[in-house]
Amino acid sequence: MDQRGVGMSSDFSLFERHLDALYRSALRLTRKPEDAEDLVQETYLRAYRYRNRFKPGTNEKAWLFTIMTNVFRNRLRQRPVPEDPIDQPGADFSIYEQMRREGLPVHLMSPEEIIVDRGFGGEVKRALEELPVPMRMVVVLVDVEDFSYKEVASILGIKIGTVMSRLHRGRQALQKKLWEYSGRPKTPSLAVGAR
Amino acid sequence: MGDHCEQTMRRLSTYIDRELNEAEVRKVKAHLDDCPPCEQVFDFQAEMKRLVRKECCTDDAPSRLRAWVRQLATEKPKPAK
Repeated sequence: MDQRGVGMSSDFSLFERHLDALYRSALRLTRKPEDAEDLVQETYLRAYRYRNRFKPGTNEKAWLFTIMTNVFRNRLRQRPVPEDPIDQPGADFSIYEQMRREGLPVHLMSPEEIIVDRGFGGEVKRALEELPVPMRMVVVLVDVEDFSYKEVASILGIKIGTVMSRLHRGRQALQKKLWEYSGRPKTPSLAVGAR
Repeated sequence: MGDHCEQTMRRLSTYIDRELNEAEVRKVKAHLDDCPPCEQVFDFQAEMKRLVRKECCTDDAPSRLRAWVRQLATEKPKPAK
């Protein structure tokens, strides 16, 4: 093996450190372990094939996520998965405001107590997986993977303003779903939104 | 709700996401220190973000996939399964 080969393979092995992040995001996107694994494999194969295009010292996690989201979107184009129509913008929703409106002691409860402790387990993942893909990708990249708005804009090839509006709507939709799962009374705005 | 409250609420997500510049951060912080109702909303939404991350970070890649990636780094790649 020549010097260059050694350098390249050790560079590439750095990419392994993002495997768990890629896999858990792939799971949120595909919703199925087999599909997630397959998506991650294709991501790494492409990363390997184009490894010379990666500039050492730049953000390798962002580079891998750019590849993965592109592969995912191409697959989706070829084999669209039916999605539930999401409630369109309408009134703003947050669990905090909703509880306040209903006179519930929101200041005495954490989101974890409201959502997880009374839930069936895995509700956050499920709610996330029910979001439409464009919103889901942004919420996963910002809230789970901790990318900046700028990085997400670059990964997905969209404007920062679009990142922000998808994030805003995605978080609201997520909270709406979590509120429904928590078995709280449905609100008029939810009933309208559902139809 | 005063003007300061409205401004703070508009910036809350970008503040939580650490996307504001220093001057804006100072403004939001100063208001949150002064205004318990806004601080409560902040605590709740920041906690909400932490919760999403925590709940979604529980799935690690299967060991077989990790072995495959390691092999890719050291050998000529084989076609995906």
